[in-house]
Amino acid sequence: MTQQLIQAAPEVIRQGLVDTGTQQRLERFLALEAALMDNHEYDRWMALWHGDDVLYWVPCNSDDQDPSTGIAIIYDDRSRLLERMMRLKDKTAHAYRPLAKLVRSMSGIVPVAVEGNEIEVVATFVLGETRVGVQNIWMGRTIHRLVDTDDGLRIRSKKVLLLNNDDAMPNLTFLV
Amino acid sequence: MTTLIPIGRDYESLVQEDRVHSAVFTDEEIFQDELERIFHRTWVFALHESEIPNAGDFKRLQLGRYPVIATRDEEGGLHLLINRCRHRGAQVCESNHGNTRRFQCWYHGWTYDCRGDLVGLTGPEGYDENFDPTQHGLTPVPRVESYRGFVFASFAKEGMSLSDYLGPTKPYIDIMVDASPTGELEVKPNVLNRTRYRGNWKQVGMDGYHPHYVHMSVFKIFSKRESTTGSAVGALQLEDPFSDASTSRTRGFPNGHAALDFREQRQPHADNAIAELRQSEDGARYVDDMIKAYGEERARDLIAWHGDPHLGIFPNLQLIHGHVRVVVPIGPGETEVQMYPVFLKGVEPSINEKRLRSHEAFYGPAAAGSPDDAEIFERTQRGLIADIDPWVPLARGMHREQVDEDGSVVAYISDEITQRAQMKEWKKLMTAKK
Repeated sequence: MTQQLIQAAPEVIRQGLVDTGTQQRLERFLALEAALMDNHEYDRWMALWHGDDVLYWVPCNSDDQDPSTGIAIIYDDRSRLLERMMRLKDKTAHAYRPLAKLVRSMSGIVPVAVEGNEIEVVATFVLGETRVGVQNIWMGRTIHRLVDTDDGLRIRSKKVLLLNNDDAMPNLTFLV
Repeated sequence: MTTLIPIGRDYESLVQEDRVHSAVFTDEEIFQDELERIFHRTWVFALHESEIPNAGDFKRLQLGRYPVIATRDEEGGLHLLINRCRHRGAQVCESNHGNTRRFQCWYHGWTYDCRGDLVGLTGPEGYDENFDPTQHGLTPVPRVESYRGFVFASFAKEGMSLSDYLGPTKPYIDIMVDASPTGELEVKPNVLNRTRYRGNWKQVGMDGYHPHYVHMSVFKIFSKRESTTGSAVGALQLEDPFSDASTSRTRGFPNGHAALDFREQRQPHADNAIAELRQSEDGARYVDDMIKAYGEERARDLIAWHGDPHLGIFPNLQLIHGHVRVVVPIGPGETEVQMYPVFLKGVEPSINEKRLRSHEAFYGPAAAGSPDDAEIFERTQRGLIADIDPWVPLARGMHREQVDEDGSVVAYISDEITQRAQMKEWKKLMTAKK
């Protein structure tokens, strides 16, 4: 993802691909998404997704390990994502209880491609988690493919590049 | 979450047939003794042959306290070398895996080849004729043996052969390997889940008693699916394999090995599994190739098993569902678990891809199964340090054990045969004379 910014056409950085108003809408949208994830508002977060062919991808081992010949931490189509929602909300899933306390900061929000009503946006995040007396810091980059609909921006796909995706990690029991 | 117990470390009394003292999970000095007496003495799993197929391939491992490099030489020989420069002791390899002709120490430039021979001594004029470079190669692990591609190491110069150590578990290892119509697996050194939990390494094991409780949410969600046959998560089939009313069994083998034996439970599902595979062209080809390779009866048996022997080889290897699991003890209260999904050779890519998605659904830090396991191991560690009433009973099912033809001890799926087998071997090794 870093490469997408470094190698982006000059206009991506210089004047930007979208007008200032759209840029502000993108930033507000990602801030809202972050707040919903921090507060475990699963139904409202799920409502941000658009269409049946969604993809929620958190790669494992490297940022681009091909899921057809490798594995991912999360590789959800809509049906798998709905099962994930059931589990996150299920009180018998004890790894998720008590819920982690979360706060994340999104920055470096830059649209890198626009095709019709779809916008690809890259960003970085730092996420603090505290749960049962332990604090973890998670960091990473995100690539959202957003659709500008009549109801506002919606997510078609989202790829999350965790900085430690090639290392041993503790439970990831919340949304990133 | 560790302790230093004041009562002494008498392993005869800390481990009894029907109970263990919680110090075996929490005590700092007992953990160090485990590394010395178990991980540095018995057979431990190192890697699968297929992880380093070509000359120059290497992979870095941790075996007990020892950092190790597994290498492949030009003649195809496999070496396990201690990752410690023979000069001042720096590690000579820091990459997790890769391909190289030389391992160079960046402290004073000593350089070794894939056999571990010292081939580059810097400033040799500084040493007199008494210095023999051939005596300063990377130290090899004393004994290396393998079974069907699974490579094991032993730091004891003498002892039981690997074949004797594995004993009656070998046909169970075959179940995983022979899920491939060519009888070959591929394990990739860069395709794995790595998770860490703040709990003891001995918690990760065969346990047929926990799924209903630890994985309650998974049962609820998977039961809403139309079908789970044909999935690598074969234990979660249409009927409950973890009920004592089922034909599933626990099995304890000599030398601390243990299995959850789903043979009788899964065989009635063979036809369903085959029918589901036959719905796709690639699946049909897989079934045909399996029958060609192993004959109708054995192929049915193997397909019903789903390549899942659910076998634990003491102390650090488990073959569960479609993956090879390696348990890496870090401290009494900290453990790393590595899970490598296996790829079947001789099948269409879609067969392996389906297995990868099944693996992902249950295993890994954000999946349906692993987080609940890690969570309960951490809760257990936090509880076990309260050793005012220190005994952990492992007596479930002792009164209904039976000895089977192959010498294994067998009982109902929820019985703690597996824990007793593990702790019996633990005690044997911890009390053995050097």
